[in-house]
Amino acid sequence: MIVQDAKGSRHATTTSRPDFQIIAKTLDQAKHEELAMELTINDTSYEVQSDGETPLLWVIRDELGLTGTKFGCGLAQCGACSVLVDGVVTRSCVTPLASVVGGRITTIEAIEEDEIGKRVVEAWVDHQVPQCGYCQSGQVMAATSLLKENANPNDDEIAAAMTNLCRCGTYNAISAAIRDLAGETKEG
Amino acid sequence: MKKALAILLVVLVIAAAIVAWFVTRLPSSPFDGQPRAEISNDLVARGEYVARLADCVACHSTPDSAPFAGGLEMATPLGSIFTTNITPDPQTGIGNYTLADFDRAVRQGVTPDGARLYPAMPYPSYVKLSDEDVRALYAFFMKGVEPVRMANRANTIEWPLNTRWPLAFWNVAFVESGRYEPESDKDDLWNRGAYLVQAAGHCGSCHTPRGPVMQEKALDETNGNYLSGALLDGWYAPSLRNDHNTGLGRWSEDEVVQFLKKGRNAHGVVFGSMTDAFNNSTQFMNDDDLAAIAHYLKSLPGDRERDGTPWQYDAASNEKLALSNRTDNPGARIFMAKCGACHAADGRGKTPWIPPLAGTTSSLAPQNASSVNVTLNGSGRVVTDGVPDSYRMPPFREQLSDKEIAAVLTFVRTSWGNTGGPVTSQEVRDLRERTDPASSNPIVLQMR
Ligand code: FES
Ligand code: FES
Repeated sequence: MIVQDAKGSRHATTTSRPDFQIIAKTLDQAKHEELAMELTINDTSYEVQSDGETPLLWVIRDELGLTGTKFGCGLAQCGACSVLVDGVVTRSCVTPLASVVGGRITTIEAIEEDEIGKRVVEAWVDHQVPQCGYCQSGQVMAATSLLKENANPNDDEIAAAMTNLCRCGTYNAISAAIRDLAGETKEG
Repeated sequence: MKKALAILLVVLVIAAAIVAWFVTRLPSSPFDGQPRAEISNDLVARGEYVARLADCVACHSTPDSAPFAGGLEMATPLGSIFTTNITPDPQTGIGNYTLADFDRAVRQGVTPDGARLYPAMPYPSYVKLSDEDVRALYAFFMKGVEPVRMANRANTIEWPLNTRWPLAFWNVAFVESGRYEPESDKDDLWNRGAYLVQAAGHCGSCHTPRGPVMQEKALDETNGNYLSGALLDGWYAPSLRNDHNTGLGRWSEDEVVQFLKKGRNAHGVVFGSMTDAFNNSTQFMNDDDLAAIAHYLKSLPGDRERDGTPWQYDAASNEKLALSNRTDNPGARIFMAKCGACHAADGRGKTPWIPPLAGTTSSLAPQNASSVNVTLNGSGRVVTDGVPDSYRMPPFREQLSDKEIAAVLTFVRTSWGNTGGPVTSQEVRDLRERTDPASSNPIVLQMR
C-alpha cells in the first residue's frame, strides 16, 4: 500500500498479502532494525520502512507494486530482476536496500523515458524478441546498460555483456536487435 | 646367563604391568567420591550456556538426529569414527555417568571403563575448563537434555590400528594438565577471553596448525603458532592473530564481536565450517563474553614474515573488467557474468550483507582451499536470531568447469591488491572430487 505525504513523496507500507505479513512478523520478532529509507525510483521519491538488508526486488514488487521487474531465482543467477541503478544494470534480488539509498533506480516501467532505453524497446518490437516475456524486462535493462557503456559493441562484447538467461531461447533475436542498435546511438 | 634372562623377564613383566595399569587407569577427578547432588534449574541453565560455548551439539548430532544423540561421521586416514550419544539415556547415552565419570570424559578423554577417547573430542582444550563449568555442563546433560535411545555406531578402523591405549602416551606428550590459570599481569577481560578461546571455545581445534601426529602445535598465546591458521576438512581456517592480511589485523574489537554475534561484518560473512560454529555457538554468547574474546584475540601479535606485505586496495584491476577488455580475459569475463552482481564490479561486495572479495583473508591466503570450496559448493545457511540470511553464495559445481573456476579464482586472487595467487584446474578437480559425497574419496569431517 502506498500513501502520499504532505511533501508529495509516496510512502510504502506493508501490503496486506499474508506471505509478506509473515515475513514482516518474523523480522520483527528477530529484532531486526526497521529503518525509514528514501529511494528514488523512476524519478519518484518513496519513503520505505524496512530492514536495510531487504532485497530491493521485494520492495519494488511487493511494496511499490511495480511488477514489471520479475523474480526468477533470487540468487543472482538469471537476471530476470534486473533494474538500472545510476544507469548500470543491477540484479535487484541481491541488492540490499541500504546499498541503493541515494542512487537513481530505473525499472522497466519507465525505461522508455530514457533515450537509449526507448530505442532498445523499439528494436525489441521490430525483432519481435519476446516469447513468453518473463525474462524480457531484465533483458531490456541489460541491453540499455550495455549500450550506455559502449554505443557500438561487437558480437563478442554483446555476448560478454548479455548474461541474463532466457528459458525460451530468444538469445539470437536479442543479439540481432542489439546489433541493429550498435553504432546508432549517439550517447554512451 | 639363565639368571640374567630371568631377571630381564621379571623386569619386562613388571614394566608391562605398569604400562597396562597406566593406560587403562582412571585418572582422578576433583569430583571423585562426591554423592549425587540435587541439580538446580539455575545450574541447568548455566550448563546450557556452557554447552553453547563449547558447541557440543555441532559434533554430537547430525542434521537429521535429535540434539546430542551422536552419529556424526569423522574421518581419520585409517577409517571413520562416529560421535556418541551424550543424551542422558541410561542404556545408549550417558545417563549412568557420575559427575566424576563425566569430568574424566570431558577434560581427560577417558571413559568410565578406562578406554581412551580419540582426540577428535577436543579434551586437549576442555581440560582447561573450570570445575564450576564442568559441574554446570553435567547438570545440563542430566536434566536439560531429552534422553534419546540411539545406539552408538561402531567405528570402522580395523584392528590393530583401532587400539586406543597408546593415546594415554599421546596425552602425556601433548595435553597440558590442569585448568586455565589466570595471568596475573593481565586484566579480567583478557583472562576471561583467554579462558573462553582456549577452553570451551576450542578455537585452536580448527585455527591452529597441527603437527605430524595431529597434535595442535600450540595451546595458548605463548607460542606464535597458536591460532595462526590451518587447513582442515577442505577449508582454510584463517589466522585469528593480528595478521594484517590473513588474520584479524584490520578488524577492530567491535568488528570481532559483530562477526561472532551477527555472522557478518564489513570484512566478511561466516562460511564453510564457521557457519556451524556461528549458527550453534557464537551467536548465543553474551555481549560480555564476546567482548572478552575479541579483546583476547586482538592481543595476539601478527607475524609480518608469514603474512606478507600489508594489503592495499588497487583500483587498477577494475580496468580489466571494462567490456572491451574482458572479452579476451576469461577470468574477468566469468567474474562479471557470475560474481560481479553480488560481490560488486569493484570486488568490494555489499557489506555487511555480501562479503567483499578484495582484501579478504581467503583471497590473500596462499592456501586456496576456501576460495575453491566455496565456489564449488556455495555457502551454508546462516541463521541469525532464528532468521535465515537473505543472500547466500550458490554452488557453481554444475555451472562452471574446473578450467573456468580456476580462471575466475585466479582473477579474483590476483586483483585489487589480492596476493593469494593463481588456482590451477587440477586443484579445482581435486577438491571437486573430494567434496562430492558420492565420490570414493570424500572429505569427511575431522573437526568442528
Ligand atoms: S531473480 Fe535476480 S537474478 Fe534471478
Ligand atoms: S522470453 Fe521466455 S524466458 Fe525469455
